[in-house]
Amino acid sequence: MAEVAYVNASRIFSGNPPVRAVDQLQLDVADGEFLVLVGPSGSGKSTALRMLAGLEDVDEGAIEIGGKDVTNVPPKGRDIAMVFQSYALYPHMTVAENMGFALKLRGVAKAQIKEQVAEAAKMLDLTKYLDRKPKALSGGQRQRVAMGRAIVREPSVFLMDEPLSNLDAKLRVETRANIAALQQRLGTTTIYVTHDQVEAMTMGHRVAVLKDGLLQQCDTPRALYDHPANAFVAGFIGSPAMNLKTVPLTAEGAKLDGIVVPLSRAALDKASGESLGEVTFGIRPEALALVSSEEQGMNMTVELVEELGADALVHGAVKIGEGTERFVVRVDGRTPPTLGQQVKVAVRDTTEIHLFHPESGDRLEA
Amino acid sequence: MGSRSARTDTGPVRRVGIVAVWLLVAFNIGVLLWMLLAALREHTAIFREPWGLSSLGRFGNFVKAWSDSHFGQAALNTVVLVVASSVVVVAVSAPASYVLAKTKTRISGAMAVFFALGIGIPVQVIVIPLFVMMQDAGLVNSLGGLFVLYVALSVPFTVFLLIGFFGSLPEEIEEAAAIDGAGALRTFVQIVLPVARNGLITALILNLISLWNETFIALVFIQDSGKQTLSLALLGFLQTQQYSGSDYGALFAGVSILVLPMLALYVWLGRRIIEGLTVGAVK
Repeated sequence: MAEVAYVNASRIFSGNPPVRAVDQLQLDVADGEFLVLVGPSGSGKSTALRMLAGLEDVDEGAIEIGGKDVTNVPPKGRDIAMVFQSYALYPHMTVAENMGFALKLRGVAKAQIKEQVAEAAKMLDLTKYLDRKPKALSGGQRQRVAMGRAIVREPSVFLMDEPLSNLDAKLRVETRANIAALQQRLGTTTIYVTHDQVEAMTMGHRVAVLKDGLLQQCDTPRALYDHPANAFVAGFIGSPAMNLKTVPLTAEGAKLDGIVVPLSRAALDKASGESLGEVTFGIRPEALALVSSEEQGMNMTVELVEELGADALVHGAVKIGEGTERFVVRVDGRTPPTLGQQVKVAVRDTTEIHLFHPESGDRLEA
Repeated sequence: MGSRSARTDTGPVRRVGIVAVWLLVAFNIGVLLWMLLAALREHTAIFREPWGLSSLGRFGNFVKAWSDSHFGQAALNTVVLVVASSVVVVAVSAPASYVLAKTKTRISGAMAVFFALGIGIPVQVIVIPLFVMMQDAGLVNSLGGLFVLYVALSVPFTVFLLIGFFGSLPEEIEEAAAIDGAGALRTFVQIVLPVARNGLITALILNLISLWNETFIALVFIQDSGKQTLSLALLGFLQTQQYSGSDYGALFAGVSILVLPMLALYVWLGRRIIEGLTVGAVK
């Protein structure tokens, strides 16, 4: 077990102009922590993981595992284990051989290997399949073998590169919980890469959001959700995505069709300090509510209703300034409005409003 | 049924294509069958009624072909030479193509092209300089010399084939091996080679077939009848018939002796060859 640190680490791919796939990444992962790297494709999350694995060069900065600089150490000297998206099982070896390969290379005695493999197999419910080749296994079983191969070695850090993306939806949810539980039990530092923000939120102790090779924010799932550092994180974390609209600013607050939403003093001061005429206004679908026509609220025309069972998502057009913008409101699944209906939408709680700089996207209040 | 036929019958072009393929297959099987039948018939009967089946059962043709032109020694020469050269070609080409396939530098790209160029050079163009060089090295009229030539001339195609094959192998398996603690050599021997088995077998078989049938270089470089390969023995058999009177039954028997082993190889490993050649084409 060990802590992990990226010290201003960069990976630059040659080209014209060169691409900074990972740009000055500064990130400390505590011993035993489950850290999730999340971002859209091309954000550099996989590259960052591969730098830690030693599969990708570090062009600037350094990488430390357990307080030791491993920037120039080859993968096998880093005491890490990795689970690949494709699992990368050795097709010509049995499950037991796959899991024991690293131990065999380390010169561990045969009996000892057998014992450790059997133990890991038991943990992952693979005992029955130890003599099978990977191609005779289902996707979920292969995934578990890949996990087993990592566990058997008892490394100080687990690296996982989208290990669930080849599973079907139901199995993914199940395996998600299993991996989190297993990590809890083993207490091994884990870096987990995914593009799925639900996976990130449910599994990670902390989540690091990347975009274009730059770390946007790294915090607990709750903090990311409640206090996104910028408009990108706000839009990326949460499903359905936060409503993010550019709205005109008045002395009292943000002006939407029918209402002026009051904003905090601090935010207004900051906006007026930069003499902004408009701001990026963010509100999550569940922080909006349908209200009766007598109450204060913005007018919305219902354009689409997505029924999810417990909830329904109402998509509708709201006039903002000259044009119209689409908002999503999460409502009770039992009483959704009908298509084309005119409804009034109010903000549930003004503390749930997020304000961002219209150009830089940075959060406006503290 | 409905969806299946909708998927397979994609139009008249495809139907014409299917008919053309089957005609080609039928033609080849027909020729082969005719040759095998003729190999068991008497010379004059073949000319009297080429499509008939009279005098069938003359297994003596095979005995005659075998004994008249030293097919026994030639067969032994060929088997040893062809198997040894094919194995060595693959053994030499595999590591080379693996490195060329996996390193992405300007030099490796240029070297891959260099190997590919070798395929395009007709052997007739280089046979005279080759002969001079081999003579200086004292390797003319020797099976060892022929072995060197076979290996050297087969490397370009084999490397070219295997570069494509190794390139199609998933890199993640090698990365997994690197993380598991395997060095480059161990990764190649214990992980890459077993995974690449089908490709290597394909390369081996294609070399076996082309070297088995090779006549031109053997004709130029081998003079002693004791050092003949099968294709040379057959050629010699054809030539002796000009003096001793032709016997087409025995001649076809000789051709059959040359062709049947390769046919057997195809029947046995044909699927492997196709799989090896199309790997990576379909995920």
